[in-house]
Amino acid sequence: MTMTDCASCADERAAGAAFCEACGRALGAPCPNCGIPGGVGEDGYCQNCGMLAGRPRDHIDIDCGEVAAAVTDRGRRHHRNEDAMWLAVRGGDVDVVVSDGVSASFDPDVASETAAGTAGALLAESPDVSAAILGAKRAVAELASTGDPRRATSNPACTIVVATVRGAEINIGWVGDSRAYWLPPEGPAEQLTEDDSWATHAIAMGADPIAAMQDPKAHAITAWLGADASPVLPRTGAFTVVGAGHLVLCSDGLWNYLPDPESFASTVRAHLHAGGTLISAARSLVEFANAAGGADNITVALIPVSSPAPAPDSSPATDSAPATDSAVDSAPATADEPVKE
Amino acid sequence: MPYTAEAFQNEFLALGATEVNAIITVTSSGSEGGRRTAGATEIIIVDASGSMQAEGRISAARQAAKAAVECIDDGVNFAIIAGVSTAQQLFPAPGQLAVSSPQTRADAVRSIDRLQASGGTAMGAWLLLAAQLFAQRPGDIAHAILLTDGDNGERHGYLEQVLDSIAGRFTCDCRGVGVNWKVSELRKIATALLGTVDIVAQPSGLTAAFEQMMTKAMGKTSADVQLKVWTPVNASVRFVKQVEPEVMDLTGKRTEDGPRAGRYPLGSWGAESRDYHVCIDVPAGAAGDEMLAARVSVVEGDTVHAQSLVRAVWTEDTVLSAKINRQVAHYTGQAELADAIQAGIEARKAGDDRTATIKFGRAAQLAHASGNKATEELLATVVDIEDAATGTVRLRRKVEAADEMALDTRSTKTVRVGRSQ
Repeated sequence: MTMTDCASCADERAAGAAFCEACGRALGAPCPNCGIPGGVGEDGYCQNCGMLAGRPRDHIDIDCGEVAAAVTDRGRRHHRNEDAMWLAVRGGDVDVVVSDGVSASFDPDVASETAAGTAGALLAESPDVSAAILGAKRAVAELASTGDPRRATSNPACTIVVATVRGAEINIGWVGDSRAYWLPPEGPAEQLTEDDSWATHAIAMGADPIAAMQDPKAHAITAWLGADASPVLPRTGAFTVVGAGHLVLCSDGLWNYLPDPESFASTVRAHLHAGGTLISAARSLVEFANAAGGADNITVALIPVSSPAPAPDSSPATDSAPATDSAVDSAPATADEPVKE
Repeated sequence: MPYTAEAFQNEFLALGATEVNAIITVTSSGSEGGRRTAGATEIIIVDASGSMQAEGRISAARQAAKAAVECIDDGVNFAIIAGVSTAQQLFPAPGQLAVSSPQTRADAVRSIDRLQASGGTAMGAWLLLAAQLFAQRPGDIAHAILLTDGDNGERHGYLEQVLDSIAGRFTCDCRGVGVNWKVSELRKIATALLGTVDIVAQPSGLTAAFEQMMTKAMGKTSADVQLKVWTPVNASVRFVKQVEPEVMDLTGKRTEDGPRAGRYPLGSWGAESRDYHVCIDVPAGAAGDEMLAARVSVVEGDTVHAQSLVRAVWTEDTVLSAKINRQVAHYTGQAELADAIQAGIEARKAGDDRTATIKFGRAAQLAHASGNKATEELLATVVDIEDAATGTVRLRRKVEAADEMALDTRSTKTVRVGRSQ
């Protein structure tokens, strides 16, 4: 590959110039793939090698200083980022949403973006996580009948996990396998959500946990947002923090590499304690997942939460211990429920 | 903008895959509210060789030519060529074009009465004269109708030489009357000149055929529309085929247009829709890579009417990469159907009944599965279809020559599938 030709007209005098001397076309950014100067065309594809130079959603940071931070990233193996997130901070109040598009559906990136945006906007009006998820469900279901006609046969679908933080009060809700964790200063992390996944339900019904997690269907989800979803009953939980710790929301692009609560806790804690800021910890967690393979899109949100009067016990006091499902939990699924891979 | 170009494809490729397929549907609502953007010239070429005296062909051809003349819009340039051993201009005066009006059309109809059948068949010479007449009106929508009833009598290779020199100058629809002409010969002309070929078995069918061709020609509003295909470095175009309304391979008609781009002629356009199958070979990408495999534009001169992107996305997810796009699968089948029929006819002529049975069987299966009823009915005139689903057929002992020629000429006709994936 020569570094000296204009991607549009193959003139060799364009090296280092802002415009091609032969065709006069403005030379844009060099192509990150083949390096040709001015390679990236208006549609985002290199005019030489054809590779997509990148999309805005490939990597997004949201830095809310010491209050919260979130990062979403395309990962190493997927061609686009089908995860989406929402992070809103008003004083000490935090609303956060993570959504993961179902790859086998059509336009899953649109589904996750719609879900996160709709749920986030609803939370700004009222901190009702169930209402936010149901609103997101309606918006994602409507996508099937708009836009590209192919959406009708494989409707856009996604997961969602939603959390609100008001002082020491945390409310969460979810559908699918995107997770929320409580990370105390020491000890294992507490998973606040329970995956709507084949493996989780198989284990709940008595299957061997190791065998169930190794099954090809292990990650197939049993509940999702989309036009073809069964009636959605968001599963929710409410907690009051005693002491201090971190609320962590993430998509499976991160937790796949940290399957057990001990490794999750020690890894996230190590990144939080690396001495940087909250956003640098979120970024380095994404780098950790990418270094481990980056097999899926990665999204992580970190929100420090503490009780006004710190107590010796740092674990969250839950309204209904243990910190899993609340009263509106949906009925347990059967093993032959419809699933999405 | 009256044109649209829409790509149908499964952009997801398995790791290591290097072949990208897409169907591009080009639709035009007719430019400038159905008005022509250029002038138009029509030339009618009627075989007047001695054999045309048989079965009342020459009188039917006169009737048909008159009917076609009556279909020419006012203001369109036209001429009529009588085809014998040389090309003779029947109307207007040699070397000239008439401008269509009630008066000139009446003059033309009178001159057609002078058309007599005597002499030989020299298609190369006829087409060459047509090209010379069209050359007076560069930029026009240039269309010819060629009618013959026999084999070309020119020296071997001359017709091909002429076609090479005039390709792209005008489009030509070819019709053979009776059964003593060669499908391969007319197909060669139609393919080179982006036209159609068909049989008119009975002379009485000529008038309707000519009226239909001329009416369609009058509906064309743009002269020279092209498909421009850009591909990235290290990628190459394996083929570009029109696949609807009929199969026509355009791969060899490419002319280079700047770095990594080429143009393929689509001929003249009216308010219509056609489908093209584009197949690109690309270097293999890594998981998560997204490549623009081709940028396909509908162009006329320097004007880009519409554009569509053909993408390649490599994924480890076999659920995504294993899906074959319905349009691509359908038209791959329609192209195979045309090939199977032509191979079957050739094998049957060569006396290879076994190969003929296999090819026709496959054709029956493809026609049935794709809902191409017209082709299935034509096949049934040449073979007994015992079970279309499994492709079980038996060769018929006695086949009408006209039926086999109809199957041959119409083997390239395709049908559309629903637009959803």
